[in-house]
Amino acid sequence: MIEVTLKINGKMYTRKINPMLRLIDFIRDEIKLKGTKEGCGEGECGACTVIMNGKTVNSCLVLAASANGAEITTIEGLSNGDHLHPIQEAFIEVGAVQCGYCIPGMILSTKALLDENLDATEAQIKEGISGNLCRCTGYTKIVEGVKIAQKKIINSQEGD
Amino acid sequence: MKKRGVGFASIFYGTGYGNGFPDESRATAEIKEDGSIIIYVGVSDVGSGGLSIMWQIAIETLGVNKEFVKIKHNNTSMMHDSGTAAASRQTYNTGNAVLDACSKLKKNMMLASEEVTNLKVLYKQMVTKRIETRVEGYFKATTKEVNLETGQGNPYWPYTFGAQMVTVEVDDETGKVDILDIVSVNDAGKIVNPVLAAGQAIGGCAMGIGYAIMEEVFVNKGEIKNRNFSNYIIPTSKDVPNIKSYFVEDIEGTGPYGAKGLGEPVMIPTAPAIINAIYDAVGVRIYDLPATCDKVLLAIKNNA
Amino acid sequence: MQAVGVNYTRPDVYGKISGKAVYPDDIEFEGMLYAGVKRSTIAYGKVLSINIDEIKQLPGVEYVIDYTMIPGAISHGVIFKDIPILVKDIVKRIGDCLILIVTNDKESLKNALKQVKVEYEEYEGVFTVDDALKEDAPIIGDGSNILYDIKIKAGNIDEGFKEALHITENLYCSQMTEHAFLQPEAAVACYDDDGTLKVYVATQYPHYDREEVARCLNVSEDKVKIINTTIGGAFGAREDINPQCHAAIATYISKKPVKVLYTREESIISHSKRHPMKMHYKTGVTKDGKLCALKARIYGDTGAYASWGMNVLRKAAVHATGPYVIPNVDIQALAVYTNNPYSGAMRGFGATQVPLASESQMDILAEKLNMHPLKFRYINSFEVGSNTATGQKLVSSVGIKKCIEKIAEIAEIKL
Ligand code: FES
Ligand code: FES
Repeated sequence: MIEVTLKINGKMYTRKINPMLRLIDFIRDEIKLKGTKEGCGEGECGACTVIMNGKTVNSCLVLAASANGAEITTIEGLSNGDHLHPIQEAFIEVGAVQCGYCIPGMILSTKALLDENLDATEAQIKEGISGNLCRCTGYTKIVEGVKIAQKKIINSQEGD
Repeated sequence: MKKRGVGFASIFYGTGYGNGFPDESRATAEIKEDGSIIIYVGVSDVGSGGLSIMWQIAIETLGVNKEFVKIKHNNTSMMHDSGTAAASRQTYNTGNAVLDACSKLKKNMMLASEEVTNLKVLYKQMVTKRIETRVEGYFKATTKEVNLETGQGNPYWPYTFGAQMVTVEVDDETGKVDILDIVSVNDAGKIVNPVLAAGQAIGGCAMGIGYAIMEEVFVNKGEIKNRNFSNYIIPTSKDVPNIKSYFVEDIEGTGPYGAKGLGEPVMIPTAPAIINAIYDAVGVRIYDLPATCDKVLLAIKNNA
Repeated sequence: MQAVGVNYTRPDVYGKISGKAVYPDDIEFEGMLYAGVKRSTIAYGKVLSINIDEIKQLPGVEYVIDYTMIPGAISHGVIFKDIPILVKDIVKRIGDCLILIVTNDKESLKNALKQVKVEYEEYEGVFTVDDALKEDAPIIGDGSNILYDIKIKAGNIDEGFKEALHITENLYCSQMTEHAFLQPEAAVACYDDDGTLKVYVATQYPHYDREEVARCLNVSEDKVKIINTTIGGAFGAREDINPQCHAAIATYISKKPVKVLYTREESIISHSKRHPMKMHYKTGVTKDGKLCALKARIYGDTGAYASWGMNVLRKAAVHATGPYVIPNVDIQALAVYTNNPYSGAMRGFGATQVPLASESQMDILAEKLNMHPLKFRYINSFEVGSNTATGQKLVSSVGIKKCIEKIAEIAEIKL
């Protein structure tokens, strides 16, 4: 057992864990944040995507121990109370959500993408979310949602 | 060299269990003391939006504000059997049961008071006048078993229709097929929620792309060889173009507000339209799905 | 209209975009146990022994359950009850469930499942439809390898082909595919305060699950509740029973909450697949471009268990013509047992396979006629009053011509 401390959605969590514990299990089983989903367990589907130190990772491939000291954002950290993030608003508006299982990962990949490049082109958007499989939507409305989110974020920044 | 081609396919699809199999749906509508109206219905929302469809049909039928209507759909001890979320049957079958329950409740509400202004007050009036505040709705689809020797009979009802046009680009040096454009047109009668319906249509095309050119479970002596997404490859955002979806609404009189099912048929034309488009592009016909690079390349070589 | 035809925001979206929507694996209870099944690694044979006594001694193992400990029915199935919940002796496919292990944590379960040793007497299996139809083939089904055989006949097929100017005859094959929904199967069972056994599961049909859980526990249906959680996609694969009965049996025996959770691998191995089909098609068209005859033979590999095999092949047969009037037809479709993974429901259900054949034939004939393929479809397509191959008169809502017109309008094609 080793002790690790992770900052998840702005809060510090210290736990004694098995050194082989995956980050996804730390988040879901230790911290009980269930919004991060497991779809494949081998880095192929992106359902477990979280943002770690500003970059997306597949939390099924990262050991919690190796994330010691890291800053992590999960889907629960995205909205501010009842106030939804513009990406979430956009996904609702365009009807980008069906079964929803891919959506937390999809939203976090979108966030990481737009944090880095708010003006991402359609091709860049498709590239940016290509690690997140969605079996329901065919992606068209998700891409549309990302474009609307871009506008919303730009507008809100101009308003500032 | 990359060569473009366009392909078409059109299909029909019988919805419901069919073949005389008891295809029943039930729903209960109840007005509560607090003025809310609860619809208990066994609709499973697999992501397709069935929950929303039942909610919208209920609101339309009751003619009340949407804030007052709630659907309870996930506990078998609270709702009656409405069959499977399958066979593209929920909108038509279960939608009809919700329509039936809500029409009856609406009638009872009107009996208590001609003008519905406040549902809480109305509830009290219904109780005082001993009018049922909870009613049951039911729908059974009519189909007839086909004869196994002649196939004659009425196996399904209603039928949904669709046609697609797909544009592909085939690299004749590698056999790789890229899907550039899909136009999907469907007749599922009245569309209850256009955004949700388009979501089904587009998602169906994406699954159709996988079926046409990517997906195959490899089985050797009964053993599945590809058991994860690393080797069972499904379409990613880069494999799917921006799909355009249209609906022509040919109203079905027996459907709730004229609606028919659409969850499955929307995927069907995609694969054959892609196969036809490949032929249009490079003059080879693929008879075995999926049309992987290897198969397409081999066909091109054999054709040369 | 106020609500129909309007883009209401789906009520379940808020949970789904915030991570609050509850799928079965998100459910936990105090003192919850974990259960999983050891699956057969051979496709056909007899189980001779399993090292159950050894497994019981392993750390964290609470119960090892075999078929004798199931209180009620030991098999399930949407039509025929032929899929073992736990195998009695004969396995028919790789992935059949042998024993159910219940442990007090995830790790012990993983470890215990790895330690299971099974001795089999392996039989020669059948893995293709052609082999299964041979006279001396081992019989996988109930007395026959043919689960279902349907014929559709209308008009006079020989006369029909005589009218034809062009005839094309081809063999088409479609592959086995996987639903690949994103949420692997999971179920949590527990006792409710009122004494009923409750199963949380993502399912396409909660009342059917209730029936099967009650059957295997040998209790009345009112003693079982199915709670349908948020469902992470389905596409047909959540129609047959998968983790439901195992979770329920483990709770029934342990009296504790129990979770069953599949990995992606187990998900792919366990649930049904899309029927691979072989489709022999011979289609004729008159000099005016009217379809006049279709002969089709369709063979579906239904795998080791019935599931919806009959219904899928019936759907294939009924839809074999495509949405076109063909006065003379001779169609036959068979569902054939093999020792492959069982086939069942998947989006489109038999009607997804046949258009590979019917719509390819349409293009081949259009080319022979020198007619635009869209126009060829248009002039043959159903309209109100048309008869389908099964003699069904289409009385209303036949939108196929409108669909084709819309495509023609967009593509600027003259019909
Ligand atoms: S669960 Fe981590 S990538 Fe699929
Ligand atoms: S919405 Fe179901 S997987 Fe994306």
